[in-house]
Amino acid sequence: MIRSSCMVQEDQISDEQEATLRKEMEEFCQKSFDDSVDIDWIVVAKNSGFTAGVPSTSVLVSVSSNVILEKQKRFELLKELCDVWINTTGLSTNEVVGIITDPPN
Amino acid sequence: MPLYICNSRTGLISNQNKASIAKDITRIHCRVTDAPSTFVHVFFFEDVSRIPLGDKQAMLYGQIRAGRTVKQKDELVERMSETIHIHTGILRENISAFTTDTPASWVMEGGDLLPEPGEEEAWLVAHEAKNKQQV
Repeated sequence: MIRSSCMVQEDQISDEQEATLRKEMEEFCQKSFDDSVDIDWIVVAKNSGFTAGVPSTSVLVSVSSNVILEKQKRFELLKELCDVWINTTGLSTNEVVGIITDPPN
Repeated sequence: MPLYICNSRTGLISNQNKASIAKDITRIHCRVTDAPSTFVHVFFFEDVSRIPLGDKQAMLYGQIRAGRTVKQKDELVERMSETIHIHTGILRENISAFTTDTPASWVMEGGDLLPEPGEEEAWLVAHEAKNKQQV
């Protein structure tokens, strides 16, 4: 099982968008890692998220890979992951932070 | 990235104090590491189990880019703990702070992999030029 955490700001993502993102994250992980994903969906409460010292509109999406990734492969997967979020939410490129970690040693 | 997560007992940090602490954490991180402020995310939670408070009243967890020195990391947690204390009145012994390292190349922000520590200026120039081309 691939673990993922998705940190979003309160009222930033509609229920419909969340359902779409969960489905697309599952497809992404099946295609990229041949495994299902377990998503920890974390909502940052209003007045509780800041980027550059001002109220945040950023989402942080983290996925734990089940294999060690080469830099180019990780770049391609990160691009695909961020594009899923940008295309579904309408957020700008600068508002989506993607993280793909290697498995622990 | 960095991402700083502050977990505290319910009601201990007001919204006004969150804003002040977030500004201070951003300023401290940028001053200690020379990172651009746009990289710095500060999120507050109350009594969440993923960052256990134990016997503390506030816990600050910073996920930062790998490559910082031990001295820099010590300065970050020392100064950030102090700012939480100053703004909230929570005693220093009831505040805990720590950081973990994440390789820059594991993170994409603004459509690019993050720069290694010390390479931020060149990254920002290239990133802004790319953004202008896309407009």
